[in-house]
Amino acid sequence: MIKGYAGRVLEVDLQERSFAFEPLDEEIARLYIGGKGYGTRLLYDRTEAGIDPLGPANPLIFATGPLNGSVAPQSNRFAVVCKSPLTGGIGNATCGGSFAFGLKKAGIDVLVVTGSSEQPLRLEVDGDADEVRFLDASELWGKGTYETQRILGKGREHAVIGPAGENLVLYAGIVSNERIAGRTGVGAVMGSKRLKAVSVTGSRKLEMEDPDRFREYTKTVRATFKDHPVLGESMKRFGTAAIVNTTNGRNILPTRNFQKGHFDDAMKISGEWMEDHALKGVKTSCLHCPVTCGRDVEVEGKGRGKGPEYETLALLGSNLEIGDLDTVSEWNYHADDLGMDTISLGATLGFAMELGEKGMLESKLSFGDASGVTDLIHDIAHRRGLGNELANGTKRMAEKFGGAGFAPQVKGLELSAYDPRGSYAQGVEYATTNRGGCHVQGASMYLESVGPLTINPQNLKLKADLPIVQQNLACAINSMVLCIFTTYGIVPKLVHEMDPSSRPYRALAFLLENSGPLFRWAQSIKGSPMLWFEKWLTLITGIKFSSGHLQEIGARIFNLERMYNLREGLSAEHDTLPDRILHESTFEHLDSGHPLGELLPLYYKKRGWDSKGVPTARTLKRLQVEV
Amino acid sequence: MPVRIELTYDMGKLLGTQQVEVEAGSVAEAIAAARARFGEGGGDFDQLAKRTAIAVNGVLARHRERLATKLSEGDTVSFVKAAAGG
Repeated sequence: MIKGYAGRVLEVDLQERSFAFEPLDEEIARLYIGGKGYGTRLLYDRTEAGIDPLGPANPLIFATGPLNGSVAPQSNRFAVVCKSPLTGGIGNATCGGSFAFGLKKAGIDVLVVTGSSEQPLRLEVDGDADEVRFLDASELWGKGTYETQRILGKGREHAVIGPAGENLVLYAGIVSNERIAGRTGVGAVMGSKRLKAVSVTGSRKLEMEDPDRFREYTKTVRATFKDHPVLGESMKRFGTAAIVNTTNGRNILPTRNFQKGHFDDAMKISGEWMEDHALKGVKTSCLHCPVTCGRDVEVEGKGRGKGPEYETLALLGSNLEIGDLDTVSEWNYHADDLGMDTISLGATLGFAMELGEKGMLESKLSFGDASGVTDLIHDIAHRRGLGNELANGTKRMAEKFGGAGFAPQVKGLELSAYDPRGSYAQGVEYATTNRGGCHVQGASMYLESVGPLTINPQNLKLKADLPIVQQNLACAINSMVLCIFTTYGIVPKLVHEMDPSSRPYRALAFLLENSGPLFRWAQSIKGSPMLWFEKWLTLITGIKFSSGHLQEIGARIFNLERMYNLREGLSAEHDTLPDRILHESTFEHLDSGHPLGELLPLYYKKRGWDSKGVPTARTLKRLQVEV
Repeated sequence: MPVRIELTYDMGKLLGTQQVEVEAGSVAEAIAAARARFGEGGGDFDQLAKRTAIAVNGVLARHRERLATKLSEGDTVSFVKAAAGG
C-alpha cells in the first residue's frame, strides 16, 4: 500500500445492517489521490444514471486523503461525495473539524454508506476492533447538531446532521465540531438514509515514506505561515470576515439579492467590527491548524457562539440588507445547529424577499427587516409553511413562483459572495464548476479582485485560463484533503508588502494579466515539488508531486465530474449565470453585466472540450479518464 | 463636485466616521481631501493608506487613469485593502 493511506475502505449497508472492510484501490489512489477525487470515481463507477439522490441507491461517501491524519496544518478535512439532491449533478462538500483525523486513526481512508434505514440510526465505528455498531438514534432524532455531538460525547470524532438533514432540506449539511460540509445538500442525503451520526475511534498511526523530513519540513512551514500576512495575520485576527470591507470597496459584495455590489452598512458586519465589538477572545481551529480562522462571538442576551464567516456575513447580512452583526451571528448559530448551508439559506431568503417585494410570493419578508426571519429559519429546517418552499432552494422556487432571471444560482446551487460582474474569471468559474455556483472550487477571485496581487477583473485577459488552473488546483487540494485557504499562502509576503500604486507592483500585475497561455503552461510543468502541499504529499507517499502533477490530476477529477454531470443530464446550457448577472449593472455609473458568452467558448477550447462543452475523446484519453 | 469617500476601518476609527463627503473632481483631489481630514501633516493618513488601493465605484483607479481619474457627482471613492476570505 502506498504510504499515507490506511489502505482500507469501510463499506456499510444500512438496509442490511452489514459492513465490510475492503482494500483501498491503489490505482484509483494514484490517479485521483483521495478525498473528492477518489469519491467521485466511486460514485461514477457504482451508480446508474438517473438515480434518486434521496433514494437508497445514492451512496454517501466520506473520503480522506494522504495528508489527513498527519499534523500538517490545514489538513483535518474530509470530503463528502454523492449525487446532489439540490442540483441533480455531482454533489460534494468538504469539512474541517476532527472527523477526518478520526477516520484515519480508525484506519479508514474511505467510508461508503449505502442503502437506507427505516429507523433513525447512528453508527459507531471502532477501527481497532474492526467493528461497526448500528445503534438506534430515535432519541437523537430532532436534536440540533451541537446537542447531538454533546450527547455523543468525547473520545470519538463525529459527523452529524441536524433537523434540516432529517427533513431533507435540499441544502442541509453535515457537521463536525462547529464546522460544516455545507454545500450541495449532502446532509439531506444522510437524512434520507435516516442516519443521524457517524462516530469513529481508533489508535492507528499514519505511515509515511519519510516521517523525519516531513516533521522537520512541517516546522518550517508552520513558521512561514506564522509570518504570512494572510495565514498568520489577517485570518488569525479577523477570520474570513477580513474580506467584507474589501469586497464592498470592490463593489462585489452581494447586496439586496445581488441587485447591488455595495452595502452602506458593510463595516458593521466586518471582521474588524467583530474584533472590536463581539469577539470574546476565543479563536478556534480545526485540529492541528495554526491559522485559527474560527472565533467565538457573544450576542447580547443570547450567549456565546461561533462567529459568522465571510460567506454568512454576506449572504445573511448585506444580501438581506441586515447591517447588524448580532442578528447575523444569531442566524448563523441557528443554521449551524439545524445543519444548513448558510450560503444557500441566505441566497434563498434574499430571493424570497425580492419575490415578495415584486408581489410574486405572499410573505412578510422584506430587505432590511429581521423580524420573523429567525422563526422562518426554523420553519425551513422543519419544512413548515413558507419554510417548506424555501427548503427547496432558489431554482425550484423560481420554477414555482417565477423570477428565474434573478434567482442567484447556477445548476441549482446558490451563488456565493463574490459578485461576478466585478470579477469576470470568478463568473466563468461559477458557470462551469461542476457542483454549481461556488467559490471554493477554484477561488479565482483571489488573484482577480481581492488578493494582494490582482489583475483587471473586468476585461477578457486571463479570464478563461485562470479558472481552469484554479479549478484543477482546487480539485487536487480537495482530494489530499487540505483546506483551500492554503492556496492563499502561495502569494509570498514580499508581494503583500508592495504598494499597489508602485511601478514594480503594476509591472507584476501587468505581466500576470498578459501571461495568457503561458500562465497555464507554467503550472503544467512536472518538475520538483516546490510548494508545501506538493512536498508534504511527496514526503508522505513517496510519489513525486509537483504543480504539473497536481494540475493533471485536478483536470482528471474535474473532467470526471463533468462526465458525471453530462450523464445526469446537465450540459452546456447549464453553464450559465443568472440573467441579472449577465445583463444588469451593479452600479449606476457602470455599464456592467458579465461577458460569459465571449469567454465560455474559449474556456471550452482550452479545456479540450467540444463546442457543446463535452470533453473530447482525446482529452479523456490524455487524462486517463475512463468512462 | 460632491463625492463620497469610504475609509478603511482603521482610518475611520481615527476620524470617528467611516465615510466623508468631499468636493473633488479627480482621484488625486479626493485623496488630498481625505488626507486633509487627518490634521496637520497627514502623517497618520500616510501610514494607514500604505498598501491600500483606490477604487472608484468599485473599479481600481489603476485600471482607469490612476490619480487623474475624473470623478462624477455621487461617485464613491474607496480605500481598499487586499484580503482573503472564504
